[in-house]
Amino acid sequence: MNQSWVAFLPLFVKAAGITIWLSWLALMIGAFGGTLIALMRTSRFLPLRLVALLYTEFFRSIPILIVLFFAYFGVPLVLGIDLPPFAAATCALALHASSTMSEVVRAGIESVGKGQWEAAHASGMRYPAIMRYVVGPQAIRVILPPSVGVYVATLKESSLASIIGYIELTKTGLLVRESTGGGFAPLLVLAVIYFLINYAISLGGAALERRFDVGQKFLTVGAGQ
Amino acid sequence: MTGPILEIDTLVKRFGSRTILDGLTMSVHPGEVVCFVGPSGTGKSTLLRCVNGLEDIQGGEIRFEGEKVEARSKRIVAVRKRIGMIFQQFNLYPHLTALENVVLAPVVVHGEARKEVEARARVLFEKVRLSHRIDAYPAQMSGGEQQRVAIARSLAANPHLLMFDEPTSALDPETVGDVLAVMRDLALEGRTMLVVTHEIRFAADVGTRMVFMDQGRIVEDRPPRDMLADPSTERAKRFLSSIQG
Ligand SMILES: Nc1ncnc2c1ncn2[C@@H]1O[C@H](COP(=O)(O)OP(=O)(O)OP(=O)(O)O)[C@@H](O)[C@H]1O
Ligand SMILES: [Mg+2]
Repeated sequence: MNQSWVAFLPLFVKAAGITIWLSWLALMIGAFGGTLIALMRTSRFLPLRLVALLYTEFFRSIPILIVLFFAYFGVPLVLGIDLPPFAAATCALALHASSTMSEVVRAGIESVGKGQWEAAHASGMRYPAIMRYVVGPQAIRVILPPSVGVYVATLKESSLASIIGYIELTKTGLLVRESTGGGFAPLLVLAVIYFLINYAISLGGAALERRFDVGQKFLTVGAGQ
Repeated sequence: MTGPILEIDTLVKRFGSRTILDGLTMSVHPGEVVCFVGPSGTGKSTLLRCVNGLEDIQGGEIRFEGEKVEARSKRIVAVRKRIGMIFQQFNLYPHLTALENVVLAPVVVHGEARKEVEARARVLFEKVRLSHRIDAYPAQMSGGEQQRVAIARSLAANPHLLMFDEPTSALDPETVGDVLAVMRDLALEGRTMLVVTHEIRFAADVGTRMVFMDQGRIVEDRPPRDMLADPSTERAKRFLSSIQG
């Protein structure tokens, strides 16, 4: 078996790229959806708040694998359209990520003190402008660090896509293992690659935080009022 | 004689079942500097917040420059554009420099050209004596400096009325004087001002009227020196002697 897995290394690299792309896409869609849900959660209107709460709790409470099965097996049955494995995996991961991100974004919005809203309202600004110029820029500094964690989690969860036969990193490792006689090495390679990717993301996230100056300068005074 | 800029008619404000402002009536004419004093929890802040629609009201009516103030109406923005508000806690935007704090609303709300607003902002920073701090972030400034930036911010939109809610209460004693000096200049310019304050000296020197409030009502409304020399009610007398220490 030892001649072989090294020969498959380019395949592993390509599969790692697929996994990174799949989870990045899911994170981006999840962040967008999560932001919408968070805006609903923090809105003045009770029905919007309830819908958002239900959505968040629902997708937080059911296993991603079940959502994945629904997307892959259920959607064709109900809607009569086949989702390819990639689309099904993206959907399932994005739905889950959006429920996590909605809580992250909500915490960010709520970290901005009431005084900021009041000052902005008093100056005649309306909600969209307040979000864009006053609350958003302050919230982002609270949102960013846990978002990195959500990306790492999504990336790990993306290995579930192997179950519906989507050839991402985990599936690639399993296929290589099969064709090289079932050894231990391919699994180890898998683990190392996941570790390297996620460690790199964490480092990148830390650098990003420093650039955004999280917890520095301005958050000390005035922000909480 | 021009008409009043602000008319408050039997204003009622409740939070839940608690009545905070209880049929309050007063009007303010251009150029007046009205100082509000009174015990804590009396509704002074709430009154200011009703005037620019930060709070909705349960009864009576508020008119600003002839226009009805309704917190939930879309027209409230038009009212707020003409009223500057200064808070006890400054509420500067911490992610923006002093200059950006001042420039934001005129650009975003009033749609003015950034260049023009910046030029005007620089003049305002001279007025509040902070030209050297224009690029500082709020966290890098003292409380007194922050409050003067907040005053500049409220002036940037050329408001017709300025409302101050205990502007010096959160400040170190050394910096109180700088803020009061700026407010005095504004009063001398003939600005119309509502000032909630415990600075009795300031009220006596600068105020044209002193309103003593207690339990959601106006108890006395007189020229400051008259009231200070001889409060006509027992409650005002007790309160004023307590804060003059
Ligand atoms: N959002 C709110 N919900 C419920 N009660 C409130 C709210 N805001 C203020 N109150 C109550 O209204 C009353 C008047 O408050 P307000 O802040 O207007 O008093 P104040 O005269 O400004 O007092 P202070 O001198 O302490 O600032 C207080 O009893 C306060 O608890
Ligand atoms: Mg108050």
